Amino acid sequence: MVQEIAVNEMARPPAIVAVEGLVKRFGHFTALSDVNLSVAAGEKIVLCGPSGSGKSTLIRCINHIEKHDGGRIVVDGVELTGRMDDINGVRREVGMVFQSFNLFPHLSVVENCMLAPMKVRGLSRTDAHERAIGLLRKVRIHDQANKYPSQLSGGQQQRVAIARALCMQPKIMLFDEPTSALDPEMVKEVLDTMVELATDGMTMICVTHEMGFAREIADRVVFMDRGAIVEEADPETFFRAPRTERARDFLGQIIH
Amino acid sequence: MNSLDFSIVLQAWPYLWSGLLFSLALTAVAFVVGLVLGTGLALVQHFEMPVIGKLVRGYVALMRSIPLILVLFWFFFLVPIVLGHLGGSGRPVPIGATWTAFITFGLFEAAYYSEIIRVGLRAVNRGQFEACQALALSTFDTYRSVILPQVLRVASPIILSQTIILFQDTSLVYVLSLTDLLGAASKLAQLNGRLVEMYLVIAVVYLAISSAASQGVALLRKRYAIARR
Repeated sequence: MVQEIAVNEMARPPAIVAVEGLVKRFGHFTALSDVNLSVAAGEKIVLCGPSGSGKSTLIRCINHIEKHDGGRIVVDGVELTGRMDDINGVRREVGMVFQSFNLFPHLSVVENCMLAPMKVRGLSRTDAHERAIGLLRKVRIHDQANKYPSQLSGGQQQRVAIARALCMQPKIMLFDEPTSALDPEMVKEVLDTMVELATDGMTMICVTHEMGFAREIADRVVFMDRGAIVEEADPETFFRAPRTERARDFLGQIIH
Repeated sequence: MNSLDFSIVLQAWPYLWSGLLFSLALTAVAFVVGLVLGTGLALVQHFEMPVIGKLVRGYVALMRSIPLILVLFWFFFLVPIVLGHLGGSGRPVPIGATWTAFITFGLFEAAYYSEIIRVGLRAVNRGQFEACQALALSTFDTYRSVILPQVLRVASPIILSQTIILFQDTSLVYVLSLTDLLGAASKLAQLNGRLVEMYLVIAVVYLAISSAASQGVALLRKRYAIARR
């Protein structure tokens, strides 16, 4: 299946995420209409667009937190149908970081990171602990491992959330506005962590308005508006010479 | 009124003690059965299961709208009849007052605990469920390791308050001729005529136990407030 899509796409390496003709409705509201997106392994995509444009909905469909109403989504060779086995198979390989962190408040930082590897990957407590500490060190927060999320700053919590997702050793990471809920002085520490992750070669799809970050790491910027992809380009081209009126308006609004 | 004579209480203490033990045992059993069953009932409603969800809702509403004392009567007479039918003989199978009390209190309290937990489940942030989904946790692990621990933590002060009420309600077993703390005291009071002393002393016992538990509630609230911040 993946090969077929790749052939259709030509020129690009095989897609690890392939979205074709995606449709998502909330009641009568159409959040996504005929969205096509192909992401190669190791590629970094930045999704941007005005609020309500469907960018969060799109990435939430990729790990089936939102159920799509039409079209196809194939992730790492597995098509997302309604089957729970497929859904969990995909979710095991796809990490997600949320705007509001969504750490488990009753578990310590390290326990947050150990839960899924133990329950889902079947790791022993010792192995899960070792992996968790290793990844917490990577996001430079291992000295807080035994604290509870409420004792940390927003930036620290978001870095823990990144480590928690990485503990599952995903092939793809989804970021849903990871810095939007942070105080300005904490945005950098989270972005630095994400840049580092990108440098390591992780496949990343990021919904963000951090245009500096997009310039630095994105292979492609995807601009969405009203539930459709309006424009796709490498960051240089997109920021220098956006082709569409809507992208120009959007950039004019966010770059003061 | 003549001077109070508390020496009588000292003599009566072993009997009062056995009554108190019964009250505590009934509270403990009803607490465990009620909480486990109540959590189950809350989850059935939470998952909005088609038919069984409505049945559970009806059960909870029924239990919460009739007095415990009436439920005790019902179970005392009904359970033997039901058991008789299940056994095929059609003749009532008496289960005794003690069993009746334990079963009734467990089932009755389950309705109250389930309401507490049902509300707690609704209060859990949607993001918690989404985080579990994103990590590929099964529904079972999601509830066991993430959702229910949080619900029980938030609800623990209310659960403990309900348990204090439960402890006081154990005195209703007198209708089944069982002897709890209050039952023991009133029987002795009838015998020795020292009503004032007896009722004063057990009031102090109830007060001591309930206020100690209330202190526990306050402590839990405080601890939870710190954890949340």
